[in-house]
Amino acid sequence: MKLLTRTSLSYILISVVVFIISGLVFFNLLHTIFKRQLDATLTEEKMLVEQTINYSDSVPDFRLVFGHMIDVTILNAPQQKKSYIKDTLMYDSDLGSFASFRHLFTENTSIKQKGYTINIYKPLRDSENLIADIVISLALVFISLLLLLVIVNYFITRRIWIPFYRILHNLSIYEINQAKPLELAGSEIYEFKLLMTALEKMSKKIQFDYMNLKEFNENAAHELQTPLAIIKSKLELLIQKENLDENQLQLISGIFEATTRMSKLNQGLLLISKIENNQFNQTENINLAQILDKTIEHFEEMIDHRGITVSKVYQNHVTLMMNPILAEIFITNLVSNAIRHNILNGRIDLIVKHDSLTITNTGQLLKTDPGELFQRFRKSESSNDSVGLGLSIVQKIAGLYQMKVVYQHHEGLHTLIISFG
Amino acid sequence: MKILLIEDEKELSISISEYLQKENHLCEAVFNFEHAIEKINLYQYDCIIVDINLPDGSGLNLIRALKENKSETGIIIISARNSLDDKISGLEIGADDYLTKPFHLPELNARIKSIIRRRNFGGVNEIIFNDLRILPEQMEVTINGQVIILTKKEYDLLVFFLSNRDRILSREAIAEHLWGDEMDTADSFDFIYTHIKNLRKKIMEKGGEDYIKTVYGMGYKFTDQ
Repeated sequence: MKLLTRTSLSYILISVVVFIISGLVFFNLLHTIFKRQLDATLTEEKMLVEQTINYSDSVPDFRLVFGHMIDVTILNAPQQKKSYIKDTLMYDSDLGSFASFRHLFTENTSIKQKGYTINIYKPLRDSENLIADIVISLALVFISLLLLLVIVNYFITRRIWIPFYRILHNLSIYEINQAKPLELAGSEIYEFKLLMTALEKMSKKIQFDYMNLKEFNENAAHELQTPLAIIKSKLELLIQKENLDENQLQLISGIFEATTRMSKLNQGLLLISKIENNQFNQTENINLAQILDKTIEHFEEMIDHRGITVSKVYQNHVTLMMNPILAEIFITNLVSNAIRHNILNGRIDLIVKHDSLTITNTGQLLKTDPGELFQRFRKSESSNDSVGLGLSIVQKIAGLYQMKVVYQHHEGLHTLIISFG
Repeated sequence: MKILLIEDEKELSISISEYLQKENHLCEAVFNFEHAIEKINLYQYDCIIVDINLPDGSGLNLIRALKENKSETGIIIISARNSLDDKISGLEIGADDYLTKPFHLPELNARIKSIIRRRNFGGVNEIIFNDLRILPEQMEVTINGQVIILTKKEYDLLVFFLSNRDRILSREAIAEHLWGDEMDTADSFDFIYTHIKNLRKKIMEKGGEDYIKTVYGMGYKFTDQ
């Protein structure tokens, strides 16, 4: 839910509740006031009637005087003093139906020792109509006020939150490995200023750390090259010594193999950090089918050795804008991965479409979590010779050129789909 | 042969010199740009091996200086930087070859020999070992005058052996020479074995001697001793 919708909704909800409560209170208040008014009028009329009875000793037709229902009865016996006012339902001849009336009843004994009763009825209709009119007009005023408030609030809030959405947008397009720091446009609002300063400070710190780490990685990998080269060269000189026995040669061979592995690992790490540092920025058009054919040819011996059948389906002619070295590494890693994790007499299917490259290979069931496949140093047990950087490099290169790599697995068939951006 | 080695890493320089001296090359080593410039202005070399990243200058400028003097010296770049730019610019300004550290010494040796052979305009460009004769330009191999047909890999393997005769070649060095560094090591050792088996067979079929000795656990050695 958007912030704006949320505030508008709360606004409306609270206003409606307040309106209903205050409306009820107001309605009751009006009712009481009008009743009191009516009762006052009834009492006044009653007094007028009593005075008239006292003076004239007869009962005139009060209906002519007051214009509404009034009934005065003279009784011969003296009466107890009794008086009340209440609501009642009566047949209203004007309306032709029953309606609410205010009814005053008095029973008393006049000066001439004769009793009388007075019944005065006043219709509540008029005051009820009045109340209804007042309530309706008030409601109209309230609703238009509420609408106005909501609209004004909507626009004000939208204006106020503009810097916030700009900050969000800038944050979402910000990439840590880009050269320029996070820059957020200014706002006059104090809280936003605080937010921007905090974010800028944080991103600067993160970027600084990230750059440091990246630089360290690259330097470390780079600096390792020389000692590795020295070890390799010394070992090569060592094996030329005349008087080495088989045992010693075996030991040296072990060192040799480990050094080669380390050297490969180091080269892989160096490559990753170079890709991260965007050091392969020259691109050219790469013919995908051509580079695939070349790579398959390169691995021909290995493919024959394992009895793997390779089928190639090039549905479209695809050229990719890539750095030629990275393109070669990319395809080589994909193909060698499909060969390395294959089974004896297995198969590899390559399908090139206008928007994707699909590589399917037969293979053992995956023991690791497919999600971890692209992480560095993840490797299956069956191929201990690999250093476990192949797919990680593939993904790094794919990321560089906005390609997506998806892994699928179905009954011993492993599929990597690379969709071009 | 006179070789100038320009490499600032002393230990690596010592290893290279030692390996090359066994091939009866005269190998002079300098460790920085300044001394290298002095040397190339004073003497004539058959081949120079130059590191791109020198403490006091770029190896690329040394190559430029050599080329300005219209020198016929063969040039091999060795660089830790596995970068396309260095490789392209190095080869563009006239270097003959490019090797990335860490490399195998037999590989460097084979590359030097190949360059020297190619530059040896006066003499006959051929490799002779007892009854074996290779004409690299035609990629032709004869044994006692009889031509033997080799596959590309077998041929590469044979030339590599002959460039490093009487040396133990590790399986890693052979694998990297034949397939580059993307090859799965375990598999490539099997392939090397197969190729060597075939090569031996082809040479012996034509009455040649078995020069390839297996060094257990380590590699192979091409020798007539």
